[in-house]
Amino acid sequence: MTRVISILFWLSLAAVLAFITLPLLVVVAASFSPTATVTFQPFEWTFRWYGDLLSNRWLDPFLTSLKIATVVAATSGVLGLLAAYCIVYERLPGSDVLMSYLLSPLSVPQIVKGVAIVLFLSMIGFQGFLGTPALIAAHVVLALPFVTRMVATSLANFDANLDRAAQILGAGKLQRIRHVLLPMIKPGVLSGVTFAFIISFNNIPLSVFLVRPGDSTLPITVINYLEYSLDPVMAAVNVASMAFILVVIFLFEKIGGFSAQIHGGSK
Amino acid sequence: MNLLDIELVSVSKTFANMSVVKDINLAVPQGEFVSILGPSGCGKTTTLNMIAGFNAPSCGDIRVRGRSQIRVPPERRNIGLVFQNYALFPHMTVNENVAFGLKMKGAGSNEIALTVKDALRSVHLEGYGERYPRELSGGQQQRVALARAIAPRPSVLLLDEPLSNLDLKLREAMRIELKEIHEQLGMTFVYVTHDQEEAMAMSDRIVVMSQGSIAQEGTPAQIYRDPKSRFVADFIGKSNILAVSDVKPNGKTAEIVVGNDVRLIARAPDDDRPIRYCSIRPESVSLGAVTASGEDKSNRINAVVRRVINLGGSLEVLAQLSEELHLHILVRSSRSTVAPAVGETVALGIDAADIQTLAE
Repeated sequence: MTRVISILFWLSLAAVLAFITLPLLVVVAASFSPTATVTFQPFEWTFRWYGDLLSNRWLDPFLTSLKIATVVAATSGVLGLLAAYCIVYERLPGSDVLMSYLLSPLSVPQIVKGVAIVLFLSMIGFQGFLGTPALIAAHVVLALPFVTRMVATSLANFDANLDRAAQILGAGKLQRIRHVLLPMIKPGVLSGVTFAFIISFNNIPLSVFLVRPGDSTLPITVINYLEYSLDPVMAAVNVASMAFILVVIFLFEKIGGFSAQIHGGSK
Repeated sequence: MNLLDIELVSVSKTFANMSVVKDINLAVPQGEFVSILGPSGCGKTTTLNMIAGFNAPSCGDIRVRGRSQIRVPPERRNIGLVFQNYALFPHMTVNENVAFGLKMKGAGSNEIALTVKDALRSVHLEGYGERYPRELSGGQQQRVALARAIAPRPSVLLLDEPLSNLDLKLREAMRIELKEIHEQLGMTFVYVTHDQEEAMAMSDRIVVMSQGSIAQEGTPAQIYRDPKSRFVADFIGKSNILAVSDVKPNGKTAEIVVGNDVRLIARAPDDDRPIRYCSIRPESVSLGAVTASGEDKSNRINAVVRRVINLGGSLEVLAQLSEELHLHILVRSSRSTVAPAVGETVALGIDAADIQTLAE
């Protein structure tokens, strides 16, 4: 009986892993396709589609997305850190309500949010805000619950005795935050920031309402392109942005050491 | 006259209608090793936290070197604290941990380097400076915590059950080391513990706390020899506590009746309070069968041996004096000792001075 369960477990695990990986592998293979239609030919391949990526058609949206995601990551990192600090660490009055409020954007569909933001901006006469400024603001709203939640978790795990130890050793509040609290929650903050970056960089449902023609983000450009053609360039764009995200994660892991930092400085 | 390092004046602490510390008065002279000893929940940790400044007393005053500390935050009290769970900064090396207090005081880097080295030397951890706390054993971490606390030269060092997370052997070794460090530094130590052996082994003075109040204070010898209450007699070391049904004072001694009909000559009480109990330490009872000293004990009583436990260096004997009166006796055993047999009748000898009368 346990044997059957065990076999079922491994089978379903393999199915899940295959489902995650195989479509990606198809895209990767397609990006090397020798013909102008998306085909899968394992013995013939070419790099030529990747050459197209360096044209302004793809480079501009990439840079726009990069710029927006960077600002969103930094802004939601700072705001999330401050919010979590006030809620979890200082336990300001109304903390629970504040936390629920900050997490509430999670429960509104992004499309609804996008429409609401567009309507709101035109109502108050800020249509000129559409494009990069609106995208940044909207993405921060979207990313903030994740960042706040992650920082809050690492703050909740912070040993209050460490703060007391620093205090009795003569450290004032700001010194304690700088020398003890921040280094201890750094992994949580950095993983929140990474999340925010990825959420912004990959976002479609919210961005689709807010982009301005000629100043589009990468995923929106991809969507627009897909309406007319499905060719290996498309696959190459996707592979390149996937690779880019992996590099970003790797870099943050290097700076923050999500895993190594948890039990103290890396050696 | 000795300078007082710490004074607690009528200090009380109430948490949500619960009176945790009740009107405590305590004066600790400079350089003394004082233990605050008591079972868990007696208010000793709260008292320590009030001295450190993490809790404000509900009323009363706390002074360090004559200055009231009531409005002084912990970071400006110049007090050292060693935590039970060490509370080392995991993201800093041993050196950085020990240097932390000096850095916060704005000491120069040369002075910091020298002091850190000194502090690590005094806890025997030279050469461990570059390691991280997680790379050290529990005992080593505790030494780092100690070095970190003493490095800024605080006026007073508070220790909150610092040895309770260590195993027995290490704990015993650390007792001696702590005592040596105390003598070396000449710093005032306030040591909070529930372990009476620890307190006995290290302290100049022991303050026994029970239910938020000081039950008794004195040198370890005083506390052990002259417990003033049943609680202290029972909490410090082992003791036979017997209910006393009648007392006849007789100058320096008193005749007391324990059990229903066993008469004993006891030390006369120190005050006029009615005597309700007496305490007899197991090792102060001699066993006729095994001691050949022949010295004249004030009390000679026959008892039947009910149980004998060989502890190696000593024998623990349970002797029955009457229907419901038993005494635990501890006699040192050597190669020539003949252990009493169960069921055998033996003569017990107890000095009047070793029978302590208790009012409560």
